[in-house]
Amino acid sequence: MPEVSVTPESFEMVFYDAAVIGEVVAEVAERLGLEEAIGLEIDEQSPLGRSKIVSYDPIQLWVDGGALENTQRPRQFGKARSRDTIGRLLIRIMDRRSGRFDDAPTDEELELSQFSAWDVHCVGRLERLGIGGQQKRRQYQFRNRHGFTDVADEAFNQLWDSSELSWTEIERISEECRSS
Amino acid sequence: MRKIFPAEELARDARFIRQTNEQRLSDPRGARVGGGNTSEQLAKLTPELANGPDRARALMHGIFVGEIQALEGAGRTCWDFEVGEDVPFELKLDMARQCWDEARHCEISVSLADHMGTELGEFAENGLLYEAACNPDPVLRLTGVNRALEGLAIDVFNTMKEFGNLAGDPVLEFCEDWMLADEVTHVKMGSDWLRRLTENDKERLDKALEFQKVVDRLFSFNGFRGEDDDSPIQLTRRFRELAGFSDDEIDEIADMSREARAEAPS
Repeated sequence: MPEVSVTPESFEMVFYDAAVIGEVVAEVAERLGLEEAIGLEIDEQSPLGRSKIVSYDPIQLWVDGGALENTQRPRQFGKARSRDTIGRLLIRIMDRRSGRFDDAPTDEELELSQFSAWDVHCVGRLERLGIGGQQKRRQYQFRNRHGFTDVADEAFNQLWDSSELSWTEIERISEECRSS
Repeated sequence: MRKIFPAEELARDARFIRQTNEQRLSDPRGARVGGGNTSEQLAKLTPELANGPDRARALMHGIFVGEIQALEGAGRTCWDFEVGEDVPFELKLDMARQCWDEARHCEISVSLADHMGTELGEFAENGLLYEAACNPDPVLRLTGVNRALEGLAIDVFNTMKEFGNLAGDPVLEFCEDWMLADEVTHVKMGSDWLRRLTENDKERLDKALEFQKVVDRLFSFNGFRGEDDDSPIQLTRRFRELAGFSDDEIDEIADMSREARAEAPS
């Protein structure tokens, strides 16, 4: 199992356990085939759900405390949500390292529509690995960025069902339904 | 059947988890309201926000559980009071009509949850609306629920309708517009009955309006609902006028929101 370091080591505002979080991150990484060390920094003060990759090598992740929260029980840790959050970050790292995303904009430069299209492709693959899911939630986000149309729904299905798209293909699919 | 049914005993299946007001307000990260959080930098809820669609989903779920509680509250008001002694028969007829509307809103909200990719019970349920509907005085009950909370619903539905319009989502926009029309009627019922039942009882009128302020204040964290451009939930003057609010009353809610915003920790 990959070594995971979680910061902070203890929490005051939420009822999280760094050891449990570390186990979940390691489990997701292992299922994705990542064996290297992973650092995870959590802003426990924020109940929002933002997350980002601080460094690709070594892997360093940052999340709002809310991104690991059980939405039914505020301040409690949510395993399923955490798997989804961490899985989406790690699979993006793997995509960028694959060579298929060399021409993709940096994370900061991604437009909402581009990010949403890539995210659909990430979550579709994660679901098939048994990590995360919520297909209709992702479809709603995708429709908000690409339109509530049959063309957008077809694009969504293509992104969700495909196993290894390149950035160029994702960008083309996204662009086509935005211009239709 | 007993009168005044306690909020803790409302029937819910295993999908729903209740969060008490104490839990909500004691969250050191800020209380959740309007699909967002009071610690969040204020921004009008639009699809252009990175978390806009998810905030809209959470807000819609809050509306859904609010509809369930509004149905339960209006149903209780039909039963809890005696005709003649406590309330006129026509008030019960209005509440029966409201039950019909709220039941339809529940069905619409379930369909919208599915449309937006939300599971029923995905977010914690807060029971404030039904708690306001437990007031033993029918005038205070209608003022707290129909004028304060259904008044808030007017603002929320209008915000969600605009969200649907901006996102190009005809389903959301259409559903919100229809529910909004009903909410204006419910608030108008509250305004009309408040005036009729307190016509010769200034003390009771003052007490009811004070109760409304208490409920309104509970939903004014950090100016979350207000008239500023970046208020996540926009105070909707026109629909409130149609619902029987005077300009002074609307000004007062707007002021309350501004005060809450000024008092909020930066």
